[in-house]
Amino acid sequence: MKREPVIGLEIHLQLKTKTKLFCGCSSDYIGAIPNTNVCPVCLAVPGTLPILNDHAVELAVKTGLGLHCSICDNTRFHRKHYFYADLPKAYQITQYEHPIAVKGYVDIFAGGKEKRVRVHHLHLEEDAGKLVHPTSDGRLTGASYSLVDYNRGGMPLSEIVSEPDMNSAEEAIAYITQIRQLARYLDVSDGEMESGSLRVDVNVSLTRPDGSLGTRVEIKNINSLTSIERALEYEIARQNKVLDEGGHLAQETRLWDDVAGVTRSMRSKEGDRDYRYYVEMDLAPISAGPEYVRKIRESLPEMPWDKRERFISEYSLSPEESLHLTEQRETADYFEACVSEGAPPAKCANWMRMEVQRMLHDYGIGINNFPVPSAELGKLIIKVEKRELSNTQAKDVLAVMAEKKTSLEDAVRICGVSGGKITGTALEEAVMKIFDSEPEAVKTIREGNDKKGAKVKFLQGLVMRETRGSADPAEVASLVNSMLH
Amino acid sequence: MEFYKLSALEIAEGVKNGKWTASEVLSAHLERIKKYDGNINSVVTLSEESAQREAEEIDRMSADGRAQRPLAGVPFLVKDNFCTEGIRTTCCSKMLSDWIPDYDATAVRRMKAAGAVLMGKTNMDEFAMGSTTESSIFGPTLNPRDFDRVPGGSSGGSAAAVAAGFCPIALGSDTGGSVRQPSAFCGVQGMKPSYGQISRYGIVAYASSLDQVGPITRNIGDMAAAMEVLAGPDSNDTTCDAYERPSFSEASLAGIEGKKIAVLTGYDTDSMDRPLIEAIEKSADYCRSAGAEIIEAQLPITMKHAVACYYMVALGDASSKLACYDGMRYGHHAEGRNLAEMYKKSRNQGFGKEVRKRILIGTCILTRGYYENYYVPATKVRQMIADEYAELFKKVDALICPISPALPYKKGLVEEDPVRIYLGDAFSSIANLAGLPSISLNVGFTEKGLPANVQLMGPRFGDAGLLALARSIENKAGCPSIAEIEKKGECRI
Repeated sequence: MKREPVIGLEIHLQLKTKTKLFCGCSSDYIGAIPNTNVCPVCLAVPGTLPILNDHAVELAVKTGLGLHCSICDNTRFHRKHYFYADLPKAYQITQYEHPIAVKGYVDIFAGGKEKRVRVHHLHLEEDAGKLVHPTSDGRLTGASYSLVDYNRGGMPLSEIVSEPDMNSAEEAIAYITQIRQLARYLDVSDGEMESGSLRVDVNVSLTRPDGSLGTRVEIKNINSLTSIERALEYEIARQNKVLDEGGHLAQETRLWDDVAGVTRSMRSKEGDRDYRYYVEMDLAPISAGPEYVRKIRESLPEMPWDKRERFISEYSLSPEESLHLTEQRETADYFEACVSEGAPPAKCANWMRMEVQRMLHDYGIGINNFPVPSAELGKLIIKVEKRELSNTQAKDVLAVMAEKKTSLEDAVRICGVSGGKITGTALEEAVMKIFDSEPEAVKTIREGNDKKGAKVKFLQGLVMRETRGSADPAEVASLVNSMLH
Repeated sequence: MEFYKLSALEIAEGVKNGKWTASEVLSAHLERIKKYDGNINSVVTLSEESAQREAEEIDRMSADGRAQRPLAGVPFLVKDNFCTEGIRTTCCSKMLSDWIPDYDATAVRRMKAAGAVLMGKTNMDEFAMGSTTESSIFGPTLNPRDFDRVPGGSSGGSAAAVAAGFCPIALGSDTGGSVRQPSAFCGVQGMKPSYGQISRYGIVAYASSLDQVGPITRNIGDMAAAMEVLAGPDSNDTTCDAYERPSFSEASLAGIEGKKIAVLTGYDTDSMDRPLIEAIEKSADYCRSAGAEIIEAQLPITMKHAVACYYMVALGDASSKLACYDGMRYGHHAEGRNLAEMYKKSRNQGFGKEVRKRILIGTCILTRGYYENYYVPATKVRQMIADEYAELFKKVDALICPISPALPYKKGLVEEDPVRIYLGDAFSSIANLAGLPSISLNVGFTEKGLPANVQLMGPRFGDAGLLALARSIENKAGCPSIAEIEKKGECRI
């Protein structure tokens, strides 16, 4: 029988609070001078006591609700003990027996089908400091000394622990992506693997011939989605190979080496480290009662999956279009703002997926930094709808608006598509519109009864009016003539 | 004028109405300390300059009528585990022998804000672990009532200093009796308020769920005044309760007429020192004559399990709270070939024998396997003890029982019979386990001049009522005298 990979994930989300979890230090540590965002509390100066950051609790509850978890009233913190230079108190304050949120799930889409991944729990904890080992080859051991930066120490994290419900790297990626999307929708975390505001530890095993779970291996030090895929594929292959050769797997923690593309044994879990978990008596129990939870639930924005469904039904978008537009809350908001200008949803979706997407990619920016306001794009799309601009012209106008950060009106002028410059297909469209509105005149001309050419002049005049003088009269005259015959 | 004989309230009154200055009062106390502390070694750090500055500030305010503070010009000392800005805070350990905090503990800050003048730091058992004040790196403190005996501990320096007339108020910390047992041994009044009454911020922790700041005085009037200053919520300590405190001074005058007070029975009185049993009987009589009803009460679960439970809880927490002393950011640092060796050497060299012993036992208690068999049952027993008291206080207003089974120990007993010393916490540790207020009250002295104190306990946050009870008894028994520390002559430090 084929061994099936079984994957469980622990995701650490750095919560977007202004201050640390247990003190008033700024949480804005990226790029800060080492050991400047520190205080007696997060340096564990004798006599100091932790003070719980209420906002962190709120963000954790929000996340828990987004994960369909039950929120636990009266939860507590524990101390997790270990001696290391990144941990000033020699214990980490974390939630152990009583996490704030339990028993949730996330629906993912992978391998062409939907799947429900259960969430075991979500708990709050403080981050450790950061060790810098100044060796030339960047190795973690062997340096003659180490430096420690406590700016990150005490940062609020929420750890989301999944059940071992995933069976492929693709599913794992889908799960992480879904949680990252949720975190960003709820604005609880930046969810960036690159900067470390989203970190993933992977647990993977292979099923035994009888279907039971095999020996579990934990992989740490994975810093991107691509690496997770590679690490999982490597590790699954490695475990298969060991078992194929009749060997035994050790329950252990392995480090992913991104350069070599292999996992390496870090420490054996045979002895299973004892952290001497113990109730943190310096903090009163957290009270997250029904009323508190209700208020937070009411403040939650529309969830990405709900938005996805609504876009399909409300705007008659295809599932693919809806998926693309709802991937980021900001993109969805931008889209809906365009639509609210009166532009047709299908057209807006199309513009966003093609033109806007391409420009964002070229500029290397996100929708938040896209220089064209949504209302302006909406108006531009309406102009195309009214055939005031051709598609090609509109694309040029959009490019100018983005590049020069100008208004629609100015961009139209800069592009020279106004003032006698409605031309080509846009002009043809205008002519056709006039022909359609004056069938009698067209008939008269085509039957050769417009001897003096008065009707032709009449139609030319209507086109000029339709284009508000933005067309070249000579082109209008020749176009009307050629299209009549 | 013999300022050292005045109570805190008398000193403040005189400073406020211009009868004397805070500076005069301060120098009289400093002089007495310098003259006689060599006899008992109760003070480990004197901060004369900062004290003089503070006293002068009070006098300046007093001159233009701004010194209307409750403890204006009252000199005080604090145990050396209270963080004091700019004054070394050693916990009487090599580990912190040169550590100078840059902040004041909330209790110290509140005392200063009330006009009290901090003179310095008092001796203690290393990291508050002990009952004799003999494990200090500064050497032992001697009992001012009898130099051959220990002052109790761990706040032995604070209790001895108050008894010796070095200050009218000293602060201690009480984890299992560390304020009240030395108060008993030195013959002064000591209180451990309800858990959550006074902020723990800035107290170098021993055990988070047991530690509480407590004042030591020579009379209950000063005690109530100190409580009024010290108690209150603190944004730096979320375990400090937010409830609105009554005026402890006013409440302490309420009397006890019609109150129901229990006297503990059902424990082994034969192993107790006789004068301490008599002290309880005498206290009960005083209560009766003040109009209270006395009944007997037994606490079988508490009396059987309190000490074992206390040491499980306290040592488990101590191993956790003392883990931060790794010699890296502050405290004693030893070099080593790697991080682990640095930690081991720093901790081994920095901590004394008793502290190492307690950390090891505590670590063991929290280790998987032992945790389930020792720590978890201890927390359950702790709850049962709290429940037993909650039941009792449904029926009575207060409980009178021993604070220590013994009169002050002779020096050196801790080496001879450490278990006897541990068992000495049987009565005192209960209040910490159950979070209850407790007062160690002096009701007289033996023929040999050794003090006899009793313990008064009340329901959680019943601190005000307890002060009223203590005051009623004190009215009959009289306040303890100042120890005749001069009898050994001057011993300048």
